[in-house]
Amino acid sequence: MSGPDTNDTPASTHTSEPSTHFGFKQVESSQKVNMVKEVFQSVAAKYDIMNDLMSLGVHRLWKRYTIDCSGVRAGHKVLDLAGGTGDLTAKFSRIVGESGQVVLADINDAMLKVGRDKLRDKGIVGNVQYVQANAEALPFPDNSFDIITIAFGLRNVTDKDKALASMYRVLKPGGRLLVLEFSKPSNEMLNKAYDMYSFHLLPKIGQLVANDADSYQYLAESIRMHPEQEVLKAMMDTAGFEQTTYQNLTGGIVALHRGFKF
Amino acid sequence: MPFAQLVTSGIELAMNQLLKLDDDSQQRLKKLSGKSLQVTIKELPWPLLFSFSEQIDVRIVLTPDSDSEPPCEPVDCLIELNLETLPKLKDSSQLTQLIQQKQLSLIGDIYVAQTFSALLKDLDVDWEEQLSRYTGDVMAHQTFTTMRTLFDTAKSQIEQGAIELGEYLTQSDSIAVKPSEMIEFSRGVSDLRSSTERLSAKIALLEQAKKVDTGLNN
Repeated sequence: MSGPDTNDTPASTHTSEPSTHFGFKQVESSQKVNMVKEVFQSVAAKYDIMNDLMSLGVHRLWKRYTIDCSGVRAGHKVLDLAGGTGDLTAKFSRIVGESGQVVLADINDAMLKVGRDKLRDKGIVGNVQYVQANAEALPFPDNSFDIITIAFGLRNVTDKDKALASMYRVLKPGGRLLVLEFSKPSNEMLNKAYDMYSFHLLPKIGQLVANDADSYQYLAESIRMHPEQEVLKAMMDTAGFEQTTYQNLTGGIVALHRGFKF
Repeated sequence: MPFAQLVTSGIELAMNQLLKLDDDSQQRLKKLSGKSLQVTIKELPWPLLFSFSEQIDVRIVLTPDSDSEPPCEPVDCLIELNLETLPKLKDSSQLTQLIQQKQLSLIGDIYVAQTFSALLKDLDVDWEEQLSRYTGDVMAHQTFTTMRTLFDTAKSQIEQGAIELGEYLTQSDSIAVKPSEMIEFSRGVSDLRSSTERLSAKIALLEQAKKVDTGLNN
């Protein structure tokens, strides 16, 4: 499946290897998975505290908005893709109850382990399953889930079109996909301030708290390389989703895309 | 910043913190496990959805964007009221009365609303005990004893002040009337009203008699 201008579709280079971006760098597609893996292995232990610091806690409100838009209820089966440390899974688990199920999936075993430990410490057990999975080739049968969420994960996926197609396949008819991701601020002033923050302050916070400036430099770069609102919407349409809409949050720093499978 | 989510986050945090401070509340919360309650407060732009498990999750109910979008999720109980009625929900025995008075609209299982109301009403937090965890027993006890004394003193001072003000207004400057004078005045007004009504009735009778006489003479 070929997507719109995403800068992310594998392309030929002089070495004839398909290439993609890793932040602002151009790398071979086969390398990106491991490079992203290294980033998240490095930040896993401090992931939550860094999220709170970087967003001043607002990421919790973005995630709450995602849950409010999910229409989740008791008995639903939910896939929290790239679920990381399980913020969404924790709330979904309580809402779907014993009759429902939440699958926390992440390609990175270190993140999955942090998430599993955190949720178990909170007493969230029973209806949560942990699966190490690549979003591009989800290991689930067709039409399995009522809701799929991917929060701050899609930009790290090498082939986003393939991942969206895979999500469409495992979503039940009537189900919905919610993509929460950094996006492009709609206001030019905000955009400039955000750039200053991302490229100057963010790596310094990363160095100070997680002792890892490079990973947070990658974070800032990967956000800029991620398809902006309208492009991602078009990609979801191409993957087969219907009624696709998006909502800018905090001036477009983050956007929540929503699409249905009918 | 998503303001609505900030509000629900605050409500959720406050409720769950209060429940944690009362050991018995978990037992009462279990009765609601797996249930959901939607509360529409007319003055608020969005209905609130409470989901119960081992804690309370509070969400906003978002209306579908279009006809083809699936409708909002079903809930076990839906209540609609205004802010003025909200404090009355503390007493679960009043629910039926509020429905009869049309101050509250309820659809679904009333048990959910009653149990939720009782859960909040029966919260019993030992604040002295909570403070003692940080300051030690002696300090906490002294703080609360001082606070109680201050509260009682302030209360009695206010009551005494009200009495003295009343006396000053009625006795020294006669700005206001005494209660006995007020009763006497009210009685006088009642007597005057009765006399006026009697006189009015007599006049009416005389007019009627005059009409009858005039009719006979003609």
